[in-house]
Amino acid sequence: MNLIIEFYPHLLAGLAVTLELIACAAPLGLLIGIVVALSRAYGGPLLSPLAYIYQIIFRGTPLLLQLFIIYYGLPRLGIVFSPLTAAIIGFGSCSGAYHSEYLRGALLSIPLGQVEAARALGMGKLQTIRSIVLPQMIRRAIPGCSNEITYLIKYSSLAYLVTVIDLTGQGRLIAYATFRFFDVFLIVGLIYLGLVTIANHLLQLLEQKVRIPG
Amino acid sequence: MLLVIVCLGLGLILGVLIALAYLYGTRWSRPILAAYDRVFRGFPALVLLFLFYFGVGSFPGVHLSPFIAVLLALGLRSAAYQSQIYRGSLLAVEKGQVDAARSLGLTKRQTIWSIVIPQAAYFSLPGLSNEYSVLLKDTALAFAVGVIELLTVGKFIALRTQAILPIYLTVGAIYILLTYSGLLVFWLMERSIRIPGLSGHSRGRME
Repeated sequence: MNLIIEFYPHLLAGLAVTLELIACAAPLGLLIGIVVALSRAYGGPLLSPLAYIYQIIFRGTPLLLQLFIIYYGLPRLGIVFSPLTAAIIGFGSCSGAYHSEYLRGALLSIPLGQVEAARALGMGKLQTIRSIVLPQMIRRAIPGCSNEITYLIKYSSLAYLVTVIDLTGQGRLIAYATFRFFDVFLIVGLIYLGLVTIANHLLQLLEQKVRIPG
Repeated sequence: MLLVIVCLGLGLILGVLIALAYLYGTRWSRPILAAYDRVFRGFPALVLLFLFYFGVGSFPGVHLSPFIAVLLALGLRSAAYQSQIYRGSLLAVEKGQVDAARSLGLTKRQTIWSIVIPQAAYFSLPGLSNEYSVLLKDTALAFAVGVIELLTVGKFIALRTQAILPIYLTVGAIYILLTYSGLLVFWLMERSIRIPGLSGHSRGRME
């Protein structure tokens, strides 16, 4: 307990970095997810396979490897990121690949008749997607996407392995300073558990709030 | 790959036990298992790994090699996730079948073994194949405590040869290959033990 009192500024600093990571990576992931899902469904012969390959690559390899490629590999090509940016890009693009599958599932559940009806009413293709498909697709994908955001919160701890001093990183520093490894990592884990629980409740509220009556 | 199989096996055995204990156990088995589930599904894998390797490993009289620490952390974590899969598939077996088996004179244990589990096993395969691909990728975390696995070897070669990008891309290709060949195995398994008249496909057709 006095461990928390003694080191709470460090834990708070770590928590701030973790929250920053999540707050940047989650919207980025959702955006990528939407673009990839729409490309796979409506992308035509060029964009659709590209989106598929994107999914295979980012869902088939470990997130840690992706982070290593972005942080240690890309500088070889002259593309240098700060650790935090590299982590956000890594999380965003990996999370986007998973989001896109949930979103695509939701998209496929929208009856085709609605699209045809919208087109028959004279809406353009883009307009149909924007005002008919997208609102329903996002609502239906909320349960799956909430799941993915929960995963993102937990996997944000990997940022530590590309030298971002987030909550896990601070935990490790404190653990080495005090040699109370078990207690420190238990506290850090409980903080993540708290974050996940809060996020779940918020996302559930959101789901209820945006539900379409009937 | 050994790590994946051992963790998946540990998770399978414990996961089934947890699911059974949760559904059919005594009154106090539920809160305990719910707490277990909370911790192992709510903590990040990396934090669990550190908790086991640095935390449990620092208890007096306990010595954990990195490999064992990873095995325990990821195996117990997988057990928590898998128990959810099995709980879902056990509940997916129709209640009427259990009632019917009991009324035919089968004992509770017999009912679970010969009626519920064979069907639930089939229902749980898709979830299990998902868990395989997640676990395969999570074993890359073993890197963080120095277990020699694919990513560690990749990093070592990359540092030795200074050809960082090509090596990492190759490692990525190997992971993709492992993921999709594993999924193929599960898909074949699913097809070979399909119960006629019970699979989702035929049910869809009937409706």
